Amino acid sequence: MELIVQVCVSGLLLGGIYALISIGLNLIFGVVRIINFAHGEMVMVAMYLTFWLNYFFGMDPYVATIIVLPVMFLFGVLIQRVIVQPIQSSSANMKIFATVALSLILQNVALIVCKGNFRTVQVPYGMSTFELAGIFISVPRLVAFFAALGSITLLYYFLKYSYTGKALRAIVEDHTIARLMGVKVQRLYLLAFGIGCAFSALGGVLLMPFSSVYPTVGIPFTLIAFIVVVLGGLGSMGGTFLAGLFIGVVEAVGGTYVSPALKEAIYFGIFIIAILIRPQGIFGKGKGSEEVGLK
Amino acid sequence: MRTNKIIVAAAILALGLLAVPLYFTSTFILHMFTLVFFYIALTAAWNIPAFGGKFSLGHAAFFGLGAYAASILYVKYGISPLIGIFAGTVCAMLGGVILSFPLIRLKGPFFTLASIAFAEVLRMVAIDWRSMTNGSVGLNIPFKPGWLNLTFTSGMPFYYIALGLAVLVILLAWWIRSSALGYHLRAAAADEDAAKALGINTAKSHFFALMWSSGLTGMIAVFYVFYNYVLEPGTAFSMDLFSLQPAMNGIIGGMGTVWGPVIGAIIMTPLGEFLRFYLGTIQQGLNFVVYGLMLIAVVNFVPGGIVSLMAPWFKKKKSGESSARDN
Repeated sequence: MELIVQVCVSGLLLGGIYALISIGLNLIFGVVRIINFAHGEMVMVAMYLTFWLNYFFGMDPYVATIIVLPVMFLFGVLIQRVIVQPIQSSSANMKIFATVALSLILQNVALIVCKGNFRTVQVPYGMSTFELAGIFISVPRLVAFFAALGSITLLYYFLKYSYTGKALRAIVEDHTIARLMGVKVQRLYLLAFGIGCAFSALGGVLLMPFSSVYPTVGIPFTLIAFIVVVLGGLGSMGGTFLAGLFIGVVEAVGGTYVSPALKEAIYFGIFIIAILIRPQGIFGKGKGSEEVGLK
Repeated sequence: MRTNKIIVAAAILALGLLAVPLYFTSTFILHMFTLVFFYIALTAAWNIPAFGGKFSLGHAAFFGLGAYAASILYVKYGISPLIGIFAGTVCAMLGGVILSFPLIRLKGPFFTLASIAFAEVLRMVAIDWRSMTNGSVGLNIPFKPGWLNLTFTSGMPFYYIALGLAVLVILLAWWIRSSALGYHLRAAAADEDAAKALGINTAKSHFFALMWSSGLTGMIAVFYVFYNYVLEPGTAFSMDLFSLQPAMNGIIGGMGTVWGPVIGAIIMTPLGEFLRFYLGTIQQGLNFVVYGLMLIAVVNFVPGGIVSLMAPWFKKKKSGESSARDN
């Protein structure tokens, strides 16, 4: 009994990071309507940036956020401008291919620059835990969870109340009408891609104190983020957050009770079941969300 | 007149290809040709669902299923790979049945994603299921030459096998594309809803396309494994080798056409080997960076693939001929 609670708690904490990464994808997905297959690579690049900042300047991973997030925001803007914008009007398959190519490039540039070794950041609090009612809680994971919760809440209020946020939501609802209403669609695409990247980058930074980075670290994050977005529903912040936590718990429970090697098989099973029952997402806004990226 | 010319050209090409092993005894050249034929077959098989606009990045799943089915039967139970060919085809088709659930329910990108996840999951299972697959170590095909074991002392038989596979899959793809199924698929690719409104059961068409594609991929995989003697999860379910590579060949040649995969595989396979030899040895991974850049260039500048560049040329030739006939 103690074990299952313990496992669920650590799964929930990890799920916060999944939610963070997935919300970045959800924003890009909803606004730019591109299927970013290089999303996990954004997490990877951010993790490497954090590692190098720590390695060369001894910067604490949490402090490195100040540099990593703006850099990754600009990186996202650059990707949107250079790679996505030229093929904005072509078919969904072409967009998939362009982002698959981008992920191939980023993974292999990482391999060339950083070699294939596992890199970790050594921080004094990396392994520290505290006990609460008989359950051990890892400090960096707890920090990650609350940082995720906080930033998702900030994004929620930004989208809900600010003028730009409302414009972004208008684009998610209907591109053409948003454009007709005078929303500067192209500029907001850049912004959405930038914010999306910064969110996954934040996920990467928060992972760094308790996990290691290597060139292909991003691949599972792309899969997880897509599954979370499908479960949570397009354009639904709360849904994505809950779905992220859910996948975190599933991963922890599956990894403990079934087999760590099979956790991806479990995601895939959930993914298939979910899309068979409710293709618009468990918390989705309604029918049609699954068709995004086609139009 | 035109068909006669094509038949003569095809006959010359066929004779030339049949004669290659007689004149080139270098194992490198034979290997390169064999590899090109394997990839033509794999890409043409990958391309069948693409007639209907379905873009899979998980064909490594079918490849691995076929490859593992035949090699487990042979290595563990001593059953001839000639029977393994059927087992591999059937296993890959069963994989296709599983993937057909997301195929039918999901559109475009979500199907692509499900296909990637499917191949990844199977790779994990192959690593984890040690009693059957030997885990990450993999299976070695013992070297016992003979037709029954699909093992040969020279590269020549496999040259002809691969050539035969390539021709078979191209002919099948051509036949499928010009059959009722092909027209249904092309209608679905152009406009799924309109196709449905006209009474086409698009789900059924996509399903049959995937069955052909997965079965053929599994069958090719059996031969490929016996050509290479070794099998391990990292290569059998390799995203780069068997999911991305056929897709790249298809896109670069021209997705959803009969000849696009052929042209794509002929260009990309030697180029890929060349890049791996020259760039890969300078710096591991550099070849993939070049690949990625090429893909982005193709997507931007030639979205229809090389076939689309050649199409006007063919049309001009056709119209020129018809005017010649008029005179």
